[in-house]
Amino acid sequence: MSTERNLWSHLLRSDFRAALAVVAVLAAVPLFASSPYTLGILVVSMYFALIALGWNLLAGFTGQFSLAPAAFAMLGAYTTGLLAYHLKAPLAIGIPAAIAATALLGFLLGRIVLRLKGPYLALTTLSFAEIARNVVYNSYNFTRGDQGLNVPSLMESRVGYYYLFLAVLAATLGMLYRLMRGKAGRFWLAIRDDETGAESRGIPVVRYKTFAFALSCAICGLAGSLYGTFSQLVSPELGLLLQTGLVIAMVVIGGMGTLTGPLVGALLVYLASEWLREFGGIQLIVFSAAVIVVARFFRAGLWGLAVRR
Amino acid sequence: MSLLRTEGLTKHFGGVAAVDDVAIAVEAGEVFGLIGPNGSGKTTALNMLSGFLAPDRGRVWLGDEEVTRMKPAALAGRGLLRMFQMTRVFPRICAFDNLLTAGLARGLDEAEAARRAGALVEELTLDPVKYLDAGQLSGGQRKLLEFGMCFMEPPRVALLDEPFAAVHPVMRETMARFIRSRNQRGHTFLVVSHDMPIVVELCHRAACMNAGRLIAVGPTRDVLKDAGVIEAYLGSGAHA
Repeated sequence: MSTERNLWSHLLRSDFRAALAVVAVLAAVPLFASSPYTLGILVVSMYFALIALGWNLLAGFTGQFSLAPAAFAMLGAYTTGLLAYHLKAPLAIGIPAAIAATALLGFLLGRIVLRLKGPYLALTTLSFAEIARNVVYNSYNFTRGDQGLNVPSLMESRVGYYYLFLAVLAATLGMLYRLMRGKAGRFWLAIRDDETGAESRGIPVVRYKTFAFALSCAICGLAGSLYGTFSQLVSPELGLLLQTGLVIAMVVIGGMGTLTGPLVGALLVYLASEWLREFGGIQLIVFSAAVIVVARFFRAGLWGLAVRR
Repeated sequence: MSLLRTEGLTKHFGGVAAVDDVAIAVEAGEVFGLIGPNGSGKTTALNMLSGFLAPDRGRVWLGDEEVTRMKPAALAGRGLLRMFQMTRVFPRICAFDNLLTAGLARGLDEAEAARRAGALVEELTLDPVKYLDAGQLSGGQRKLLEFGMCFMEPPRVALLDEPFAAVHPVMRETMARFIRSRNQRGHTFLVVSHDMPIVVELCHRAACMNAGRLIAVGPTRDVLKDAGVIEAYLGSGAHA
């Protein structure tokens, strides 16, 4: 594209408007479909959309391929759950604590993997994710292991949860839009495209990479924390690599490096997975095939296809 | 006082001295050429000057500040900017956004960065391709873009590694004109190049390296007539 529309500010604005349109459609859904089952499915879709947005910040915008987004969602859920279980901490403390704890862990992981790229980065984050999951799984006296941990609910109303998740999703999109249209966003794109080149231009690569790690993990942690209060039960299964695979499929199918892509991808993939559930294991085959097709033929994903002129 | 100065700069790879006890001094407002045959240590020296490689020994000063072992981003912040032999632009954003990003990295606000980017794309004849992703530009256009990125906020010293290599003659002239015009405004360059006619035309002084050591420094034409330099390029007996 060789017109002004290829400027990052233009691309991002159209992308953000499309994402807001999706949010607006979601806001109207309870007016037409208010069954607890439908709303529950959509709440879980929005949980995945949040994790997908967090992972996309790291992988799609900054070029850091992490395999730990589900682990951070699990850690966020357990932070809130453990504070409530052991200290009777109210959720008004438990949820911000989950954000802070996952941001801190993300920052530390970001420092550890600072010089790693490609398969080394992926393997290190995978190792971190598996260590975290196994520690939670095996610390029965503290976490109740595979029995899971009961978490208090924020509210009884499913519609209330629906709009809470939607509000958090909209706020996350707004925050990411503001960051991506400013200096941080441009620096992240530069780091994604050429880390050495970014450093040579004067971009503080270490600072912006660790910032991306911390923020991405905090978004995943927030998603996990809210999901824990919604389901009222958290278990180590939240951090399974399979969950991370699902998140990656959502972002790749929707469109990496965009705001609308992860959102649409999460909704489509999760809704499709629910629909395909009755066919048994076929859902994983369908998603894997979809990822192969998108990676081979439509690397910009569905959102990329939609905006291609 | 020299604007960019090294003393005893040394780097070994295994048992080989890639750069051995090199002392150069680039004066403010000059175009300084660094020449030498392949494998003579020019790019290794440039990597140490720009912070991408830590020297084993030796020191580097930018003005009156010692900048030895400083990281590339910190050096760029002090106005020591590097252009690479293998061009480093951001391929998945458009050329104009590349310039904006470089401007923001040098501390400009977005409006000022956009104004300067607009002026630079015209000066560097990149206007027709400014909205193309940088990855879609030709090799020469990418070199010009990297020039522009270095000059969004004029550097104190621009380090150019083989800027004219494998570039179309028209673009080579555009680059040379750009260097001349910026030098007339007082900007300082250190140019690594194999292109002797352009080195003679652009560089006030030059230094020649061979096998990691500095073998001649002085006015460019004198360096090129130096018997050691001729021998380094053409082999022993060439000046007989």
